[in-house]
Amino acid sequence: MYESLDLFQTSAAMARHAGARQALVAENIANADTPGFRARAIGAFSETYQANAVQAMRTTRAGHLRADASPSAARPVMTDDEPSPNGNSVSLEQEMLNGVEVAREHSRALAIYKHALGIIRTSLGR
Amino acid sequence: MTDFSQALSAASSGMRAQAARLRYTSENIANTDTPGYHRKTISFQAEVENGRPSGAVVTGPVRLDQSDLATIYDPSHPLADENGNYDGSNVNLLFEIADAREAQRSYEANLKVFDQIRQMSQGLMDLLRK
Repeated sequence: MYESLDLFQTSAAMARHAGARQALVAENIANADTPGFRARAIGAFSETYQANAVQAMRTTRAGHLRADASPSAARPVMTDDEPSPNGNSVSLEQEMLNGVEVAREHSRALAIYKHALGIIRTSLGR
Repeated sequence: MTDFSQALSAASSGMRAQAARLRYTSENIANTDTPGYHRKTISFQAEVENGRPSGAVVTGPVRLDQSDLATIYDPSHPLADENGNYDGSNVNLLFEIADAREAQRSYEANLKVFDQIRQMSQGLMDLLRK
């Protein structure tokens, strides 16, 4: 049971990731008419998670150096969309699509968390 | 939670900026027939806080469009000069309507994002409920 706390960590990181993505979507839409503004975005959680898994170091003893196991925050990157004549590269349609994707990612993370919580509750007999 | 509050403030700043834009557009439309009226425009800027962009948007100072005023021929008008012409406004209704429509669309997009963030944090709160 103890190892599956990993599930909580991962789903919490996923929810946090969705929150960070949503913040970027909100910023992009707020600045949809700002001249010279470049849209920024973070990739999906699965990409970030895979990138993290590759860097993880193997440890065989407790004293070994170890990388932070929790998935780290992803860095926002500028999207390479073609900017409009005033230098703004925000596409409202793309942002709407990202927003929906983020909302789904977030509710998926919360559902996983909730079910893991349910399993622990059941095993405790409550 | 900081991501959510940051996102909420960005979305609300967007709505505030679009509302200000809509306000100046409606002022321009109301003054289409005012002699000597220059149309008002505002610019949008990304807000900078402590040297870093905060993600929110702010409106710049109001500027007057310095393009030429329309010359209207009406000898009976009190402001008419010896040739019977007077200066109208430089408001072009087509521009104003297009501007108003764009402001409305962007406002709706911001509102939708605001609602989405609210639902996401509501889902988070529901986890604590039972």
